[in-house]
Amino acid sequence: MAADSLTTAGPAPGSGAPGSGGAPAKRALRARRRGRIGLIFAVMSVIAVVMLYPFWYILNNAFRNQSQFARQSGHSGVSWGQLFSELPVGRELVNSTVICVASILLILAVSTTAGFAFAKLRYRGSGLLFLGVVAALMVPLQSIIIPEYVNLGKLGLINTYLGAILVYVALGTPFATFLMATYYRGISDDLIEAAVMDGLGYERTFLRIALPLSWPAIATVTVLQFIQIWDDLLVGLLFLQNPEQRTITVGLAALSAGRTTSIPVLMAGSFISAVPAIVVYLIFQRYLVRGLTLGMGK
Amino acid sequence: MSVSEAAPGLARGSAPGQTARPRRSRLARRRRRAGILLSLPAVIVVVALLGIPIGQAVYYSMTNWNGLTAQWIGPSTYTTALSDPIFWRVLENNGLLLLSIPFAIGIPLAIAALLNEHVHGWRFFRSVYFLPTAVSWVVIGMVAVQFFALNGLLNKLLAAVGLGSVQTNLLAGQRTALLALAITFIWSMLGTNTIIFLTGMATLDPTLLEAARVDGLKRRQIFFRVTLPLLKRFVQFSFVITVISAFSALFSLIFVMTNGGPGFGTTTLEFFVYQSAFSLGQFGTGALYGIILFVIMIVVGLVQLRLIRSEDGEGW
Repeated sequence: MAADSLTTAGPAPGSGAPGSGGAPAKRALRARRRGRIGLIFAVMSVIAVVMLYPFWYILNNAFRNQSQFARQSGHSGVSWGQLFSELPVGRELVNSTVICVASILLILAVSTTAGFAFAKLRYRGSGLLFLGVVAALMVPLQSIIIPEYVNLGKLGLINTYLGAILVYVALGTPFATFLMATYYRGISDDLIEAAVMDGLGYERTFLRIALPLSWPAIATVTVLQFIQIWDDLLVGLLFLQNPEQRTITVGLAALSAGRTTSIPVLMAGSFISAVPAIVVYLIFQRYLVRGLTLGMGK
Repeated sequence: MSVSEAAPGLARGSAPGQTARPRRSRLARRRRRAGILLSLPAVIVVVALLGIPIGQAVYYSMTNWNGLTAQWIGPSTYTTALSDPIFWRVLENNGLLLLSIPFAIGIPLAIAALLNEHVHGWRFFRSVYFLPTAVSWVVIGMVAVQFFALNGLLNKLLAAVGLGSVQTNLLAGQRTALLALAITFIWSMLGTNTIIFLTGMATLDPTLLEAARVDGLKRRQIFFRVTLPLLKRFVQFSFVITVISAFSALFSLIFVMTNGGPGFGTTTLEFFVYQSAFSLGQFGTGALYGIILFVIMIVVGLVQLRLIRSEDGEGW
């Protein structure tokens, strides 16, 4: 099936059956095929319901008050007002945005330059350094979080944006560098050399030629990191203990850990925290997919 | 600097002729300087914020540091930790969670095969299946708690199919809570793994599948004998991602769904690191568990590398 849908590109019937039987046989075949497509469609729809259920649940219950939730009937907007009084939503959205944007800019600054150097300006030992940077991918956050906490504490960076940003940059840099280097390897050496010969110098060649060419990879890093950082809990939980600096995801988890907040309020909060990441996902889906599979770089 | 110090890369490309040499070597020097300069920030970030902390963690793991006072003990901390039954209970949870991996890979394989039929609207379904990837596990965990609750959807579904008598809150029992966590984990991985396999299927040569079909192989045979072996690289990749997630990315889910409980029912190694250090104030022990986690990750990585090397000689 996979084969014939690929070769005929669409449900054009009977295109590839050389010397097959008469019209009745063809019609039976077509009917079977249509039944099969219907079945596939039905199964895919059921899976879609399973995948969308949480979103429906969140929306449905965010618009309920406590007793409506218990009865599971009726709707109201009460919990939204409650949410804003229990959680500094606006402030936390700003915090999330600031931390995401700053972390991503730093990750991009560090990974585009290094990716370019490792791919195009190799020097003695650069291969080993690249291997070291990529190997750092295997370091789980939990393995370094205690020393990190101590070190940043000594620098007075706990409960500051900068502390959390540094941890996110550390976690994002290895993969971003790997991805950028993979991308820059695909750009022709001649192009770079020609620019250098024209007197641009290596630094300006990077800024004016290579960097603009690599925007798809930059988009991939940006989307991957945005979703990762926006959705993160552990780093925020430890490095931003002050409600003043908390991100929306951390604020929400703290609210839920209190176990005193009503479910509809939590659902309203979930909705607000999920929307930005979903919007980014819907716009940049293509790049997210590419980033996931680029890990396999052919 | 003299000409003789020129970068090694220069030799192969250097043009014959006296006049060209100084110019080329000056360029090579600048190239080398630019390379070092541009790669330096990333190297500093990785060394300062990942490399050094790993070293520190190894050191801390051999002390009885409680956040205030630290005393050097030595490698014997590891034998002490390994004889702690709670540690083995936690590791058992990790082991049991690994049982979810066949589902976290098998179901997406089937879904990807369905999508790959390119039935009308498949792009829409692909987007829908991938959507949860954008949402925080904090949010997913909160919905999951409601799903598994006594008056939640799961029990309603059970009642609807005549299994009302088994009404239960999975999150209330130690083993069942782990099951609920595993189910949520599998659900969360569906989108990612489906996309990986779908990408893989798009790389397959259609003439090969056509040939199998002409040879009279049934659809199922084609899938298992032709498609699946060709997807090996992609299956391995998703296997690694899934194992890494199971071991080191479940923190938010556990924090929101069970907080590690009941008892130690859903405490995995990564959660134990957090608990030991930040709930119990045993920084030394926490660091030790973190190092064990790191070692496990390295082993997973090496096994993976070994598999690829031994089977087809070309890695990715």
